[in-house]
Amino acid sequence: MWQAIKNFYHRMGTPREFYRIAGYWIPIFGVCFAVLFIVGAYLGLVVAPADYQQGDSFRIIYVHVPAAWMSLFVYVVMAFAGAIGLIWRMKMAFIVMITSASIGATFTFIALATGSLWGKPTWGTWWQWEARLTSELVLLFLYIGIMVLYSAFTERKTAEKAAAILCIVGVINIPIIHYSVEWWNSLHQGSTVIREGGPAMPASMLTPLLLMALSFQFFYGWLLFIKARTQALTQEQGSSWVKQIIESKQVK
Amino acid sequence: MTPKQKNRLFVVLAIIVGVSIATALGLTAFKENIRFFVELKDVDAIEAGSSGQYRIAGIVKPGSVKKQADNISYQFVLTDCKADVSVFYTGQLPDLFREGQTIVANGKFDTNKIMQASEVLAKHDENYVPSETASTIMEQQANVCIDQLNKAGTADSKTY
Repeated sequence: MWQAIKNFYHRMGTPREFYRIAGYWIPIFGVCFAVLFIVGAYLGLVVAPADYQQGDSFRIIYVHVPAAWMSLFVYVVMAFAGAIGLIWRMKMAFIVMITSASIGATFTFIALATGSLWGKPTWGTWWQWEARLTSELVLLFLYIGIMVLYSAFTERKTAEKAAAILCIVGVINIPIIHYSVEWWNSLHQGSTVIREGGPAMPASMLTPLLLMALSFQFFYGWLLFIKARTQALTQEQGSSWVKQIIESKQVK
Repeated sequence: MTPKQKNRLFVVLAIIVGVSIATALGLTAFKENIRFFVELKDVDAIEAGSSGQYRIAGIVKPGSVKKQADNISYQFVLTDCKADVSVFYTGQLPDLFREGQTIVANGKFDTNKIMQASEVLAKHDENYVPSETASTIMEQQANVCIDQLNKAGTADSKTY
């Protein structure tokens, strides 16, 4: 069993095998994303009842919370990938890390923007410099910083190492974001779903939220596979397996 | 793992541990500054008429909201069931402002220790409740403190 995992890990670590396996998973992830998204959005925007205080404006939660969760999740994936890349010098790990950055930055931006749109009618303000909002903004800057740092070097291997170290240093922000609403008093409310005593939300509102969260996961996987494949091809453009792929496409 | 990989693993772990300790120390040092608002029980320590700008948060005490003659100013009492603080505010209140709701007020304390707020924000809690079932569920979840307040003040909370 351990051997099988190890083999799979090594196969996924080589761009050539990753290209092949990811190509197989892309349509599956795409379909899962589309189905879950349509069902989740329908249940969330049409079927779920309005909140007693916020009315229909609470429905922004179906984009805001999954996007915010993904902004943390993608970062953790990047930090792990960066660490694996640094320790085992695995090409694919760095590719996963760097192609995730723009996706994570987009999720973070969506979380901040939808939160701001919700904050204006609910709190009475677009923005406040409080712990949760500020730490999430720091996350956006971290994502942008990683992308900028990576592109600042002409030597790819130096760029990968520098970006990976920044990734690992920045991972400390993840628990800070998560616990910001517990460690300090803040304007942002505590977690509705992950809390002691179960979610503070009935199933009719919670189910669409979880479906949307799952669909965002597949969306990330789908985008990551597409982008990482492209990056693998670009980086390995001199090698024979890429030339073979190009030739086979030209024949068609 | 080769010795080289082991070394790199230690370096990565050392970075994580080092950054964690540094961040923990930094955040502990700035604990007071990161808090968004001052608890009502700590308002006593603030001098009346001091020039400092403060944010305070508390429940709008039922029955305490008085609309002023000019129609755009409000005076109300924020409470945490132990301490009460009066707030005076001119301007538009957020939609969620109602009696029993947690509110954040930002302003200065005048010589009578009344907060002259320049900003009033509503704080939403983590509870999401469908409109149809709101009354029954809210009764079950009702905070003991709010219950007491409701008995003392008006029975149903008005919105503004």
